[in-house]
Amino acid sequence: MWQINAYGEKEFLGGSEDWGGAVLAAAQCHLFRPDVEEEMVADEVISCYNCRYRRWTAASFTCSMHERTSGC
Amino acid sequence: MRILICIDDTDNLESRGTGALASQMAEELEENGWGKSSFITRHQLFVHPDIPYTSHNSSMCFAADIDDIYLESIIGYASDFLVRESAVGSDPGLCVVTLDRLESPDLLIAFGRKAKESVLTMEEAYDLAEHLGIHLSDHGGTGQGIIGALAGIGLRLSGNDGRLKGAIKIKALNGMTSVDDICALPEVDEVRSLCGAEVKGPDVVKLGEKPKTVLLDGKSVFLVVPAEGAADGVHWQSCPRQLLKKY
Repeated sequence: MWQINAYGEKEFLGGSEDWGGAVLAAAQCHLFRPDVEEEMVADEVISCYNCRYRRWTAASFTCSMHERTSGC
Repeated sequence: MRILICIDDTDNLESRGTGALASQMAEELEENGWGKSSFITRHQLFVHPDIPYTSHNSSMCFAADIDDIYLESIIGYASDFLVRESAVGSDPGLCVVTLDRLESPDLLIAFGRKAKESVLTMEEAYDLAEHLGIHLSDHGGTGQGIIGALAGIGLRLSGNDGRLKGAIKIKALNGMTSVDDICALPEVDEVRSLCGAEVKGPDVVKLGEKPKTVLLDGKSVFLVVPAEGAADGVHWQSCPRQLLKKY
């Protein structure tokens, strides 16, 4: 579900349109925190796509918490 | 006269979002008796490793109808506000445009569109702002937020970019309402199907969680898609958020 990319960041392998995968990933994460309303893009609230700590990239997103902790 | 105000890069991972600051600015503009603010739009900009952004690289823009004599007060207020309220480590930028004095909106719109697909520089932004005679200022950090602030104005001017901040509150019975009732809401100018056709009349609409509108042809448009798996008599459903992502 994740890879460490060329920048040493934890990047979601599902890209930016794996809605089910992003829900599953968030369900397994104890660090999930909903982003502000205007930045939520998934219909399921608890989704990595709606997480405050996801950082969008051209093809997917990285998890900012990976840099701060051992990740989720 | 009508002005557009756009801000960008005001947050960090733990702070309030740029949208919250835009909302506060819009409210305080009215509280100060300077004018009447309109809805806030969120504009997605280019996502690229060379661009420093917190998590999504979007800017926030709103319009206001003001008396000419308050323009400088508003710019001063907005500048102080960004210095005071922007998060530690952010690079806030502010752009204010007076629409009836703007001679080449096409240049601003082109800049906005370019900012969605390429890396632009602060120098390019300042050069264009100076050429057009519009207010553009940085208020901390690297000031990189000026690029998004200028681009956001251009995209708002295009009339066809962005989602409106905030969910639409609709009175509904069992999650159902009608197209007419949605059209009657002050926050909604029009209901359209995803393919672009205007939808009118008593058709029943099934509402999803926290539906929102998008900016199309300068209007706040509530998008609907044909209802799937719904009971008989339900014609439409509000457009899922994941389909609004591209706006």
